Amino acid sequence: MSDQASRVHRPKPESDKPRFSAIVLIYMREMRDQLRDRRTLFTIALLPIMLYPLVGTLLLQIAQFTRQHTTTVCIVGAEHIQDGPPLLKGIGFSDDYADSSSNLKLVLRGPDDLLENETVAGATTRWIQEGTFDAVVVFPPGFATPGSMPGSGVATVQVLYNVASDESQIALNRVTGILNDWKADWVGKSLQASGIDMAMLEPFQMEDFDVAPERTREAAFWSKMLPFIMLVWAMTGAFYPAIDLVAGEKERGTLETLLCSPALRSEIVWGKLGAVASFSMLTAVLNAGSMLVTSTFVFQQIGLGGGATVGAPPLIPMLWLFVALIPLSCLFSALALAVAAMARSSKEGQYYLMPLMMVTLPLVLLPMLPGMSLSPGTSLIPVTGMFLLVRSLVEGQYGDALMHLPFVFGVTAGCLWLAVTWAKRQFENEAVLFGGQDQWELGLWVKHLWRDRQPVATTAQAYACGAIILVALFFGKLAATSALGDLAGLTKMIVSQQLGLILAPALLMSVMLTTSIRSSLRLRWPHWLSMPMAIGLGITLHPLYLALGEWIEYTYPVSEDAMQAMLPFVEQIATLPWISVVFLMAFIPAVCEELAFRGFIFGGLVRQGGRLRAVVVTALLFGISHGFLQQSIAASCMGVLLGWIALRTGSVLPCMLIHFTNNALSVSISRLARSDLPGVELLFTRTQAGPVYQPLWFLLSIGFAMTFLFYFASLRSPVDESNPPELEPAADSSSMNSPTATA
Amino acid sequence: MIQVDQLIKTYDDLSRGRFVAVDQVSFSVGKGEIFGLLGPNGAGKTTVLRILSTVLAPSGGHASVAGYDVVKDPASVRRNIGFVSNNTAIYDRMTAWELVSYFGRLHGMPRKQLDTRLDLLFDQLRMNEFRDVPGGKMSTGMKQKVSIARAMVHDPPVLIFDEATLGLDVLVARNLLEVIRALRESGKCLIFSTHIMSEVQRLCDRIAIMHQGRILDIGTLKELQQRHEEDEFEELFFGLLSRFEDGQEGNWNEKVEFQPQIPDDGGASS
Repeated sequence: MSDQASRVHRPKPESDKPRFSAIVLIYMREMRDQLRDRRTLFTIALLPIMLYPLVGTLLLQIAQFTRQHTTTVCIVGAEHIQDGPPLLKGIGFSDDYADSSSNLKLVLRGPDDLLENETVAGATTRWIQEGTFDAVVVFPPGFATPGSMPGSGVATVQVLYNVASDESQIALNRVTGILNDWKADWVGKSLQASGIDMAMLEPFQMEDFDVAPERTREAAFWSKMLPFIMLVWAMTGAFYPAIDLVAGEKERGTLETLLCSPALRSEIVWGKLGAVASFSMLTAVLNAGSMLVTSTFVFQQIGLGGGATVGAPPLIPMLWLFVALIPLSCLFSALALAVAAMARSSKEGQYYLMPLMMVTLPLVLLPMLPGMSLSPGTSLIPVTGMFLLVRSLVEGQYGDALMHLPFVFGVTAGCLWLAVTWAKRQFENEAVLFGGQDQWELGLWVKHLWRDRQPVATTAQAYACGAIILVALFFGKLAATSALGDLAGLTKMIVSQQLGLILAPALLMSVMLTTSIRSSLRLRWPHWLSMPMAIGLGITLHPLYLALGEWIEYTYPVSEDAMQAMLPFVEQIATLPWISVVFLMAFIPAVCEELAFRGFIFGGLVRQGGRLRAVVVTALLFGISHGFLQQSIAASCMGVLLGWIALRTGSVLPCMLIHFTNNALSVSISRLARSDLPGVELLFTRTQAGPVYQPLWFLLSIGFAMTFLFYFASLRSPVDESNPPELEPAADSSSMNSPTATA
Repeated sequence: MIQVDQLIKTYDDLSRGRFVAVDQVSFSVGKGEIFGLLGPNGAGKTTVLRILSTVLAPSGGHASVAGYDVVKDPASVRRNIGFVSNNTAIYDRMTAWELVSYFGRLHGMPRKQLDTRLDLLFDQLRMNEFRDVPGGKMSTGMKQKVSIARAMVHDPPVLIFDEATLGLDVLVARNLLEVIRALRESGKCLIFSTHIMSEVQRLCDRIAIMHQGRILDIGTLKELQQRHEEDEFEELFFGLLSRFEDGQEGNWNEKVEFQPQIPDDGGASS
């Protein structure tokens, strides 16, 4: 039975290697097919070529409109102006202050223009609100040379405007400019009259120089803007062909034709991926190109070019963009292909665009934030790193770019590999390819959850559990901001978080949705030797873990605020009894987090041959659950190791021991170093920042840890969780999909 | 050529729970034989044939085509079958010639051989007048002809027709049946599934009657008529189905006096 189950579970990866000729054949067909499609051609080629010139024309028109629009300014109390150089000339401003050619219309109003029982303030406010004038200037009665006002105060000229109206704001700017000029003139004339040399008023002049090379200056704007535009278009350009090539073919029935041809699934994926990536790149290039040409033209017309920061884009450095475009287009295409495979029809596929955008867009937006630049930290963020790398290249900082190239390349290649693997998996999953159109109904679904319970969580349940825990933690942390104080407060916080928000969801789901709590939480006895080995690994890996933490804090420095916020917590721990700290900070998290992450969730994800998925996803969930970035990264790394151990031993227990040992050492290292236990000075040295491991022990411990790891590598899980014999294989297909069995 | 042994396929279904689409189905088909799979809609015929074409993986049991196991060596199986189904549509934006040629090249056929084969097929199936018409503009009959040409382009020893006459007018359907008969004459191994009894009667050498995922009986038309003492095929069919449904509460195999026979005609070697 077990042989049969493992065999029928998924078609064995076809022994034949993908043929390059077949991939090319499929690629060519998909390309031709898309090029024959009017809709695709329109969105990919015609739209960008038309869109930007149209938008450009519109911009020019708007610019002309704003220049031609006449600003109407009303002056109330012009008769009060007694002193100073003449501000007005006829019914306009004096030529000294306002350009007569500018479209400025001046209206003078006096008390006669007020309605009955209306104050000046009321009337002027009304005029602005009704839009009669763009701005109103009110000169108070007795407006004259300073000192001549009663009470020696300075007269206040009010300028009324409406912030909600663009015209009004423009009017405000113009009026303020005119009044300032007038004021300066007035001051100058007064000073001159009292015999002061005007030159004394200006002891020095100021001039600013931008020393950035011309290329950087020009590139500054474009190196931010253009990659953004290109990536957004690369995403969109990948998505629509992906939907058509997978969901659309499913809908039209041609996918099955292809699947029963001799083409291997891998050949189909590579061929389609190539076609999608080609369209993604084509869309991005056409859009960026069209935008470049149009904007150069528009900027010239508006007259922003020349010395301004937004000049015509430098064309040659922009070629670097294409270097980045290829891997990123492939990445987006693989993601789009995998997502599109889930859709049963083109229409359904469209719904998946938004979630995909929501996931990838932040990575594209991140580099646009001020102050983001290429660093070891940022270069490890997918997409963002590549984006920043391109920016350095465009700006000509080749040394900087070269230094971070390996990181960016590694991360991008890793993401690409994951995305392609996902897409390939989708094409091997018959529930994905032949999902039927079952009616979904809440009642039926609840009944199904109860009726079709299995010993281990399903993949969907595992994901759901992870999501519930993360959401619960998010709200839990919002609620418990400063509930510390003493041991009771700390206990309350940790226990409620660990038991209530992490363990409870997993335990509840395990009780209600599976038939066996023991196997769904993976509470199996591993080989007895693996238990002491786990403790040994926990101890010997701890120095490395601390080093990793230090490296992370160096790469992504913790902000001062966060440090301050952590301080009372750290002090508190130092004063509490050791036993309770170990219990709260090591024992409880080790049990609760491991049962949830390496237990319930891992058990659900490892099915259907999802070993890699189980390790990676639980590590990520485990990392994210740790709240802030620096801890999350360290925890994710730890999570990968714990996941691997969980896979090797088939049990959650060794993971608990490693987790416990690691946490316990972290919270008691300073106590240990201070104690007079024999051999302490061999392990630790004291530094200003606290006790650290001796370099010699650090090296030795890595050696020991390697030995323990080799032991775990030699283990085989006692049960095959990936293809559990007690489960029939069809059970793990997505619960709501069943291939339509028409015959 | 085709061996099917205790084949099982189950799905999870929201309303029905674990649903057995194919329940321990066994049969075999030899060279130069047309095997008819007859059953109402939803009997599991398409699922069986999809497993044979390696598009679906079985949940249990074995199946082999031309000596290759559908699970262990799906690529070789696909190289040896031609599969025509109402689910295998043709591309809208490809002409008849392009489409058949595309699948021929996927089979790795050399250009020259492919061209001769295409000329022959287009003549045989009388497709020359629409060889440059794109799929989107074809009539149902034309599309079906293209599908058949697509399935036959690599001259496979095994051909599977799943509800192939569905939606065709009498003229085209008749034409198709003639093509299938001609294929039998050339020694091909053929499976023909349908829910139309007259087609089975006219065409098939042996018949399996399927209902609710099970094969109720297998045999030549004569054997079936003798076994159930019923000359009228339609009556025989309905009688079998209703007796099966009546016996559903108990165990079907105990209620009826026979076990479905699995004739071994030695055609499985390739």
